[in-house]
Amino acid sequence: MDVTLGLLPDSPAGDDGGGVPSGVSTTVKSILTKEDNNKNNMVMCSEVSSSYPVGDQHLGDLELGLGLSIGGGGGGGGLKGKVVAGGGWSQYARILTAKDFKQNSCSSSSCSVSIPNSATSGFKRSATDSVSPTNGNSVVGWPPVSKAHRMPSLANENKSPTGNRISVTEQNKSKNRTAVINDYSNEKARISDKKYHSVKVNMDGSLIGRKVDLNAHTSYEMLAQTLEEMFFRRRSSTEAAKSSRLLDGTSEFVLTYEDKDGDCMLVGDVPWQMFLSSVKRLRIMKNSESNELAPRFQENNERRRTDVV
Amino acid sequence: MLQVFEARLFELVTGEIGSELVAGRIVMAISFREEVLEHSWYAIEWWCQRRIFIGNCYVVSLAMKIRRFPEVRSVELKWKPHFADFNLVPDGWGGYFYPWICEMARVYPLLEEIKLKRMVVTDECLELISKSFKNFKVLVLSSCEGFSTDGLAAIAANCRHCCMLFASWNLRELDLRESEVEDLSGHWLSHFPDSCTSLQSLNMSCLASEVNFSALQRLIARSPNLKTLRLNRAVPLEKLSTLLHRAPQLVELGTGAYSAEIRPNVYSNLAEAFSRCKELMGLSGFWDVVPSYLPAIYSVCSRLTSLNLSYATIQSPDVTKIVTQCPNLQSLSVLDYIEDAGLHALSLSCKDLRELRVFPSDPFVADANVSLTEQGLVAVSEGCLKLQSVLYFCRQMSNAALTTIAKNRPNLNCFRLCILEPRAPDYLTLEPLDNGFGAIVDHCKQLQRLSLSGLLTDLVFEYIGNRAKKLEMLSIAFAGDSDMGLHHVLSGCDSLRKLEIRDCPFGDKALLDNVSKLETMRSLWMSSCSVSLGACKRLSQKMPRLNVEVIDEQGDLDSRSDNSPVEKLYVYRTVAGPRLDMPSFIRNMDQNPTCRRYSLEKLFSE
Repeated sequence: MDVTLGLLPDSPAGDDGGGVPSGVSTTVKSILTKEDNNKNNMVMCSEVSSSYPVGDQHLGDLELGLGLSIGGGGGGGGLKGKVVAGGGWSQYARILTAKDFKQNSCSSSSCSVSIPNSATSGFKRSATDSVSPTNGNSVVGWPPVSKAHRMPSLANENKSPTGNRISVTEQNKSKNRTAVINDYSNEKARISDKKYHSVKVNMDGSLIGRKVDLNAHTSYEMLAQTLEEMFFRRRSSTEAAKSSRLLDGTSEFVLTYEDKDGDCMLVGDVPWQMFLSSVKRLRIMKNSESNELAPRFQENNERRRTDVV
Repeated sequence: MLQVFEARLFELVTGEIGSELVAGRIVMAISFREEVLEHSWYAIEWWCQRRIFIGNCYVVSLAMKIRRFPEVRSVELKWKPHFADFNLVPDGWGGYFYPWICEMARVYPLLEEIKLKRMVVTDECLELISKSFKNFKVLVLSSCEGFSTDGLAAIAANCRHCCMLFASWNLRELDLRESEVEDLSGHWLSHFPDSCTSLQSLNMSCLASEVNFSALQRLIARSPNLKTLRLNRAVPLEKLSTLLHRAPQLVELGTGAYSAEIRPNVYSNLAEAFSRCKELMGLSGFWDVVPSYLPAIYSVCSRLTSLNLSYATIQSPDVTKIVTQCPNLQSLSVLDYIEDAGLHALSLSCKDLRELRVFPSDPFVADANVSLTEQGLVAVSEGCLKLQSVLYFCRQMSNAALTTIAKNRPNLNCFRLCILEPRAPDYLTLEPLDNGFGAIVDHCKQLQRLSLSGLLTDLVFEYIGNRAKKLEMLSIAFAGDSDMGLHHVLSGCDSLRKLEIRDCPFGDKALLDNVSKLETMRSLWMSSCSVSLGACKRLSQKMPRLNVEVIDEQGDLDSRSDNSPVEKLYVYRTVAGPRLDMPSFIRNMDQNPTCRRYSLEKLFSE
């Protein structure tokens, strides 16, 4: 599915603005949208931090918000992975403005931010993946909706009103967000696909595994980028450059996965959707262990193929 | 000195039992033995020789405590901070149950109950449980993770092992309550042997895959004492009546998916089955509701005290129709589809309502998708005189509404308001909501739990510090102007036990000025605030009985300067010193961990 990016700031007056307002130094990381034919809408929900007289905010009346919707029709923004059960907080993406930096004397690194991708529910507990304020930032864990409550609209995506539904308000009708259930057996499969589909990721040499939501990604490239940020970000910049390319074999690591049959497979051979349906977990393997993998890795690798099984 | 410690530890031990309002949860009685009180400070954590409750399982080291009481029957452990529910605590943080169960299996042969909250429980743990305790009766795993249905199969099957020696199997309660289970298959349920007839409570609502229906049916049929049954979504509605026929004694039922093709015989079977359940008082489940099937439950509505429709995506008229038929309702969980109109109807019909929870159907959209505003809550506060506990998600709030609510319901003990937009002001006046929340803490003198949201300055914290003297748990997000906010809370709230803060401009000074307060609390969580690494170190130096954990997934904690801010900070009191299972992204600020590990003698020589 194609992905397009966009960003929609709001002025304090609430009308949609054009570009980023002057004075807001933000760099927006790519935001994903999905085509409508998948009934998924990327919605730029823009929050207006209204002009209340708090502190001396010269600028910060503008906030840019974005959310990733993976379900529900019409304008549903943000990730519908979790619903609230707690004292209240869940996920949408937000560009930090100068106001945020003023409030927190801390640097950006201590603000809870993560790449927009992790605004999707799947990044369970990879709370602060990246942090520079110049990247697009999202607020993890807000509103506070625990995973216990699944978003009803997620469960009811692709539903259409049926005859036996009792009347709803016009507002809901127009936004196509009414909750109507079709045959549940069809939906069950869809639901389990559309919920956050998190798999474990382990890297050789690292004791602690991570989890990644595959439904938050739309391509192998995206997934590889996410994994690179998760596992390699801590290294110095030189090392990072060296080991950054998991997919094309220039890294000292290789990305593999365990499929439904329990076999260890190289990531990237099958179409993305097919991969999604068969992957059980991911493993970032040292290249020395992957001697039996595709020749393209051997070309870029100094090690020669051995006869080791 | 000893008395102060006793008081604090008693509070440590006994807190949090009632904080999660779950229908049917029974608060355990506390009994103390005098000799326990006299002596050791960590021995006080046994609140009798038979029940152990540890509100934070790192408070006492495993080795120190496990050995002491072979008579233990019941263990309850909690682990992760509450904010773990919202993805703020990284994976790998800790709280593994395995070391505990290994020890317990050795030294607690008579163990009957294990209740865990927010812990990592593996299949190996479950297998150990299933093999180690011949009288094992109750397993409650609340918001836990790390296990799969294979582990459940071991639990279900363990009676085979026991039954060779004993007459009947004892499992009474298996409650998986919102845990995250790796769902490999539904076959685990089939492992319950035919001789298992003791089941009283089964909650498998968090599981995704379909269980073998005939195994489920037989299990229910041979469990005459079954009072609580919470099915998972995969149990189809057409088959619910079959199950109900075999369990007319049920007190609490969680349905599976509440949808089916519209067929008269399915409907009539269902309605008739419900009507035979004369004891039914609590209903939940209701995924995927087809409204036409809702009238099937009308026959039980008049008896219902507890109703959880928070998965039911039905519109206001349907919800309203149900709740208005439940005059005895005490606890209601619902989505904001109920809208103000439905809440108004609720306020007129359900005069016995004690607890209301309204969840957002679409929390990520700035524009309201439903017509639910602060007015709904105001209406309920006016009409429901017994209302004590509120959890309310909405998009707008005003000081006037909050003040009205406070004046209407001074008997509130839990008030959790989440305005979806961070820092949203009073929508009428555009002012901060300080005065509104100030009214809440002013009028509701018994308030024990409070969650704040919206635009708030330091003033609200001054109100809270001055007035909220019974407050035990406070949750703050995107609020305050300066350190004074935190200082007001720490210096003023006498009963404070748990404080969780995110994205507030609170920093070093307030923390370091109130260090002794932290030892009277169970825990403090601060993330995305303005606390520096150096302050954390100083805090740890000043307060050796606190574990000061800095969580930072960026890495390089060791090379950071003292001025750098910490991502997340978790502080809790302990007698065990730093824990040993910290992952690499967490540091305990204790400079000399080995020296700090307290022995009893050292503690009482001070």
